[in-house]
Amino acid sequence: MDDFERELTRMLHDTRQHAPFEPRHQRRLYQGIRARRRARLLWRAGGSALAVTGLGAALALLPGTGPETRPADRRPLPATSPTPPPASPAPTTSAPGTSRPPTDATTIPPRDATPSYPPPPSATPGAGLRGATSSTSAPPPTHATRASSTPADSASADGG
Amino acid sequence: MFECGTVGMERFRADGFDEFVAARWSALLHVARLLTGGDRQRAEDLVQEALVKLWFAWPKVAEQAPEAYVRQILVRLAARSARRRWWGERPVGDVPDRPQPDDVSSAVAERSRLEAALAQLPPRQRAAVVLRYYEDLPEGQVAQALGCPVGTARSHASRGVARLRQLLSDSVRPVG
Repeated sequence: MDDFERELTRMLHDTRQHAPFEPRHQRRLYQGIRARRRARLLWRAGGSALAVTGLGAALALLPGTGPETRPADRRPLPATSPTPPPASPAPTTSAPGTSRPPTDATTIPPRDATPSYPPPPSATPGAGLRGATSSTSAPPPTHATRASSTPADSASADGG
Repeated sequence: MFECGTVGMERFRADGFDEFVAARWSALLHVARLLTGGDRQRAEDLVQEALVKLWFAWPKVAEQAPEAYVRQILVRLAARSARRRWWGERPVGDVPDRPQPDDVSSAVAERSRLEAALAQLPPRQRAAVVLRYYEDLPEGQVAQALGCPVGTARSHASRGVARLRQLLSDSVRPVG
C-alpha cells in the first residue's frame, strides 16, 4: 500500500458523518417491509392460482382420463358398393350393376363379397334377372329412402 | 386473531433486527453514500431497500453475518441503481471547492471532493475501492460481494485507485 492508498483510506474513513437512526427511518423501513410482504403474498397467491389452473387443464387434456366414449363411437363404416351411387335418378333397366343391396347396413356382407355381385346386363339377361331376384336387383333409387325398397318391388319393376 | 398472529410473527422474526439496524445505520449509510458517489438521497433509499431484504432473511442470517449480507445487497443495488439512473451521475472535469489550509469547512470540502471523484468511477470499480479501502475487506470477500472472480475484483480495485489517483492528485499530498 503506497502513500496515496493510505491517504485514500484515511479520507474514506474521515468523511464519515454520524447519522442516527431516526423514527422516520424506522417508520419508512416498516412501511417497506409491509409493502414487500403484501407483494410477496400476492405473488404467491397468483402463482398458486396459476398452478392449480394449469394442473386442472393438464388433467382435463390428458388422454385416457376423460369419459371412455371413443371406443364405443368407433363403429364399422357401412360397406358401400365399389362404385358410387348414381347422381341422376333416371330409372333404367341396366341399373342392377349399380344398385345397392336392399338390406340394412347391419346385414351388408363384408367387402370380400363384392366380387359376387351380379354381372352387368351386357351378359345374359336371364342370369341378371335371376341374380336380381336372388340378392340385389333393385333399380337405382330415385331418393335415398328408396334405396331400401323391397326386392319384390324391384323385381316387378324389372319385369315390366 | 390474524393481526395478533402477524404481529407476534413480526416480533419473533425481528428479534434483534431493530438493534442491529440502530447500531449499524450510520455505517451502512456511509457505505451506501460512498457507493453512490455522494448521493445522500439515493444512499438512504439503498439502505432502506437492503434492510427490507434483510428483514425477510433475518431468521437465516441473524446468527451468521448480517452485515456481510447487507453489504452484498448494497453493492448489487448500487450497481443496478447506477445502471438504471445513469443520467443521475454527471462527471465533471474539475474537482470543485479546493480547501484553504485554515478553512473550517475543509473536512466538508474534502468529502465533497472525494465523493465527486468516486462518482466518476464506474460502479464496480467504485464498489471495489470502497470495499477494499474503506471496509478493509480481503480480495476474496470483495470478489464475493461483487459476484466476480478474485482477479476481476483485483483489477477493478486497481483501476479504480489509478483513476482516483489521477483525479485527486492535486489535493492529496504525500503523508509525512
